[in-house]
Amino acid sequence: MDLEDVVRAAQRGEPLSLAALLRALGPYVGRICGAIALDDGDDAMQETMIRVLKGIHRLREPAALHGWVRRIAVREALELARTRRTLVPVEQVPEPPAGIAPELRVEVADTLRRLPPEQRAILVLRELEGFTEAEAAALLDIPVGTAKSRLHRARRAFRRRWQG
Amino acid sequence: MSQWPIAQLTPVRQLRVLAEVLPGVGLVERVLDAPYERVWSFLTDLEHSVPAFDPMVGSLRVLSHQGSRLVVVTRMSFLPLSSRFEVELRDGWCLMRSRTYLVGMAAEPLGDQTRYAHLEGLPCHRAKALRMLRPVFRRVVGGDIHGIVRTLATSP
Repeated sequence: MDLEDVVRAAQRGEPLSLAALLRALGPYVGRICGAIALDDGDDAMQETMIRVLKGIHRLREPAALHGWVRRIAVREALELARTRRTLVPVEQVPEPPAGIAPELRVEVADTLRRLPPEQRAILVLRELEGFTEAEAAALLDIPVGTAKSRLHRARRAFRRRWQG
Repeated sequence: MSQWPIAQLTPVRQLRVLAEVLPGVGLVERVLDAPYERVWSFLTDLEHSVPAFDPMVGSLRVLSHQGSRLVVVTRMSFLPLSSRFEVELRDGWCLMRSRTYLVGMAAEPLGDQTRYAHLEGLPCHRAKALRMLRPVFRRVVGGDIHGIVRTLATSP
């Protein structure tokens, strides 16, 4: 069954298809929520999936799935990161999954942790997801000029903290 | 850019999502005092585990098994009723759906113990009025978890 069939079945509320959709979207949503919400990424991902499955019947065109899910994931991750904005000691960074350069991931997570959530979000959309500044601005519901200056500050802060 | 932090949805979290989305189901979570491997190998032996922990189920028979998909038939204990369930069975995850009933089981290791989530109810998506049944199904699930704990404690 391809993703479009899974979406159509999930729109009918079929529980096995809802579960299949959760699995299919997992890696994509996990990347966005993890990079923006960091330690709260799993919670942000759970909230995102609830929103996605509750609203899936309103998605008219299955081809638009990833764009729609991305908007929800960015919003949920950003909101959670803002409300739980706390500094966490480096030793509490969770163990990364096997197979991914662990030291590098911990260092990136620690550097991201020291940026405000808004800067993390614009970095994720531009550097991880490859959106243009205008597209990222639209996703974050901010003017393009604000997105540009925020991205500039985020890159500078990331570089400074990465090297420091 | 695989070095960016990546969030994950464990089987227990996946079951929480389904419980939020499906109005007519009840979910209960417990920490079971047994290692994950023992709990999961017991639960996934569906023909023996389900009749052992659920007093409503007299028997369960696997009709077919292909990859992660099974078809099973259950017979009730006190009524001459049979139900056909489609089952999705993966590591830490089991979802069983008949035309009228849904059962979900999810587990993950928690040190020497096991975090366990169990869901039962009606497989309907958008009938919000069914929310009033949630406490009923939570009681049903509580009874099943009690049966799981009891069976684990008494089996070798």
